[in-house]
Amino acid sequence: MSRTIRHRAKRRPAGLLIAAALLLTTVGCGQAAGSPAAAGPPSTPDVVEPLSPPPVPQLPATTASADGRQVTVASAERIVPLNGSLAELVFSLGLGPRVVARDVSTTFQQAAALPVITQAHEVSAEGVLSLHPTVVLADRSTGPAEAVEQIRAAGVPLLVLDDAKQLADIGPRIDTVAAALGVPAAGAQLKARTDERLQQARGDLGPAAGRPKVAFLYLRGSASVFLLGGAASGAGSLIEAAGGEDAGTAAGLTGDFTPLTSEALVKAAPDAILVMSKGLESVGGVDGLLKLPGVAQTPAGLDRRIVSVADGKLLSYGPRTPEVLRSIAAQLYAGTGEGAR
Amino acid sequence: MTATTAVEPGTAAPSAAPPRRSRAALLTTGLAVALVLSALLAAGVGAYRIPTGDILASAGHRLGLGGHPLGRVPESVLWNVRLPRVVLALLVGASLGCAGALMQGMFGNPLAEPGVIGVSSGGAVGAVGCIVLGLDSLGSWTVTVFAFATGLLTVFAVYAMSRSGGRTEVVTLVLTGVAVNAFCGALIGVFLFTADSAAINQVTFWQLGSLSQATWGKVLGVLPFALVGLVVAPLHARKLDLLALGERPARHLGVDVERMRLVLITVVALLTAAAVAVSGIIGFVGLVVPHLLRMAAGPGHRFLLPGSALGGALVLVAGDLAARTLAQPAELPLGVLTALIGSPFFFWLLRRTRTKQGGWA
Amino acid sequence: MRPRTRQIPERPSLGEELLSAKAVRLTLGGRELLSGADVSVRSGEVLALLGPNGAGKSTLLSVLAGDLPPAAGTVLLRGRPLASYGTAELALHRALLPQSSALSFPFEVGEVVRMGRAPWAGTAAAAQDGPAVAEAMAATDCARFAGRPFTALSGGERARVALARVLAQRTPLLLLDEPTAALDLRHQELVLRVARERAAAGDAVVVVLHDLSLAAAYADRVVLLADGATVADGPVAGVLRGPLLSEVYGHPVEVLAHPRTGSPLVLPVRG
Repeated sequence: MSRTIRHRAKRRPAGLLIAAALLLTTVGCGQAAGSPAAAGPPSTPDVVEPLSPPPVPQLPATTASADGRQVTVASAERIVPLNGSLAELVFSLGLGPRVVARDVSTTFQQAAALPVITQAHEVSAEGVLSLHPTVVLADRSTGPAEAVEQIRAAGVPLLVLDDAKQLADIGPRIDTVAAALGVPAAGAQLKARTDERLQQARGDLGPAAGRPKVAFLYLRGSASVFLLGGAASGAGSLIEAAGGEDAGTAAGLTGDFTPLTSEALVKAAPDAILVMSKGLESVGGVDGLLKLPGVAQTPAGLDRRIVSVADGKLLSYGPRTPEVLRSIAAQLYAGTGEGAR
Repeated sequence: MTATTAVEPGTAAPSAAPPRRSRAALLTTGLAVALVLSALLAAGVGAYRIPTGDILASAGHRLGLGGHPLGRVPESVLWNVRLPRVVLALLVGASLGCAGALMQGMFGNPLAEPGVIGVSSGGAVGAVGCIVLGLDSLGSWTVTVFAFATGLLTVFAVYAMSRSGGRTEVVTLVLTGVAVNAFCGALIGVFLFTADSAAINQVTFWQLGSLSQATWGKVLGVLPFALVGLVVAPLHARKLDLLALGERPARHLGVDVERMRLVLITVVALLTAAAVAVSGIIGFVGLVVPHLLRMAAGPGHRFLLPGSALGGALVLVAGDLAARTLAQPAELPLGVLTALIGSPFFFWLLRRTRTKQGGWA
Repeated sequence: MRPRTRQIPERPSLGEELLSAKAVRLTLGGRELLSGADVSVRSGEVLALLGPNGAGKSTLLSVLAGDLPPAAGTVLLRGRPLASYGTAELALHRALLPQSSALSFPFEVGEVVRMGRAPWAGTAAAAQDGPAVAEAMAATDCARFAGRPFTALSGGERARVALARVLAQRTPLLLLDEPTAALDLRHQELVLRVARERAAAGDAVVVVLHDLSLAAAYADRVVLLADGATVADGPVAGVLRGPLLSEVYGHPVEVLAHPRTGSPLVLPVRG
């Protein structure tokens, strides 16, 4: 109740803030894009680069939702993307000013002032509806199903997309979202831009001298177990694009994350370890990570070959993925003289 | 002793079993031998295969008895990954077993376990808070230190709140513990509500209990508390026996019940908080190990306290070996494993005791 | 304080006043339980504490045992204020048999009786642990179930084991709270005979009883309590009189002489 009131009161200044932030970041990004990503932990600002000028939606438009329905969007005035990946996509299309809420996984600066409506993937239907959205975007993994149904039952069009799991998903996702919001041309433009940057990032890799084995570790706090990413973690595609081999998949893990014994990690012998930056922070940085039993004994630990990417960016598979790939490659090959450049 | 054995023939108790004292000595020896064997086995087996010959060579080399060091990685796996884990399992198991026996003796109730006075849930609040808020002021020690501190703090809060007029009633203590446990559960809920999914994952695994992050540092961290507890506890064995008569009779026999309770609650808190801090929540051991031993060799605490420490260590060393090898390369949660295997076994024993002796007591 | 607990107290000389309580008052939970109770006991005598339900017999026993500090009045143990004794030291001077005995864990009977020797651990008297336990068990007729778990015993057996534990403590002052309540006729007699024997050996025994005839038969002296205060204190023949008992118990009571022994028989007037 009080939440709704607070959000209403905030909305207008928030919109202004975003507009200002957009102006600032377009300038800032232009510079950052040209310079090569620095090795080591990413220091680039967490921002999205929107298309300019912002497109004007041509609605209504009807799109096939991934859950088999046809969803007709009549207005894109108030958009609610239910996760960070979708928010990144909408903002990149230049429709950021029309977004009225974000979830916890949406971490980039332009969206920072928006009210948060979900916690850890748990959507509250009432929270979403209280913002009077004209269209809601969700992934298949967004839940609970009851909330999705309730939002639809309230007459709000809700488009479901397949979960983003690999580089190849980026294009179709841009197309679907752009079509649903009535900006197909902007979608094509964004897709082309993203493709081009992805090619560039791959091209910069150069001929790889061997495939480093990369273990994707999901960490938070040091008093717990390792969760090693497997085939379904979503990081495999990035690791391969960066010229590496996913250690979890190589070890035969088919699920997303598996609690692993320290010795099994040593046995898997990864050449590098990929982590999310908050997770790395939570174990006390690279030094803390190397103190965890089993890490120091891997080739990655012996060489201190640790790759860290911001939590919100790593698995979002969207317009910013080329940047992520570039950062991974830079960290992966830093100091080895192979790969990058 | 003369009186206990001066049983008139013919009217003696029906059991033909050996007297409790020799059975206790036998059991203690058996437990110690089993512990040594299982620790050796645990040191020899793991996901990273190291041949027994190499292990012996490496051990011999370190002890200055010949042999040779292994390659850099296997040497490090053996001495920095596997061994600290075995030793930590031993210490944590001994701590939990001993703390459980102390709690049951102190409360005169076979249902008491350290969790009753809030040490586990208090520790969980610290650990979960740390994980969720992403605190890292103490590096890789943050979660451990916080869990230990909040565990201790909670126990003393429970004790202070249930004390009035210089005395603590057991029922008040238990009820205060219930309330504080509920409050801690709610705090954990609040943390989880604000957590992202990575944090929730870690919290879940922390709560399931695991020794996967064992290091020599953690062994050294737990060691002083385990040692203090394991040394101080048996000093109170005789007094704990007297407490079985009730608080008033124990006082009449010269036991300063209130002081003993304060000392023993501190010991339990130290033992359990240290164990919880490095391993998460591993239930079952503290509750059931003392039971089994009491069934086997009687309730005398001079046997029960060290016996439960040995038994707890044995259960945890064996349990952790299973946790890290049964589902290779995946790690099974130790707390879940001990309860999953232990509970049905306990239930079976319970049934058997009831049919054989007609009752629990 | 510590060294004192290890000092073995001297045996009292026969007739020495071991324990005396004067003008003891105690209020618990807003209710006045004792309002001027006086009692004293000498070595070599059995003192029966009598009175109707709620007269404060058990409360007074708790005060004498050092469990409850009185709000007013003085309690002296061997001439020293009771409150100045430490828990461990007190255990060398007095033993108390509670009304009911429970045990949280299934210790064997022999182990339970041996618990009575705990206060003496570390003193020279520990050498007598074995004989003390054996003697106490023999005196209470418990030796034949020494190896059975206490929790498997009947109520009467438990009561005797509890008494054996108290006897094994071998203190010069014995406080017995209704020791005959759970016992059959034979064992009632046995328990009071034991009390007499201890008195004869120089101990002081205070025993709370409901059976006035038993008290008449075994006590040297009787203290009669009513509403938390001592109303009579003296030899059996002086206190156990019909009119006084009728008033205190609120029921007509007659006292007859046993046709053969001449000892007083206290009977409620019936029909």
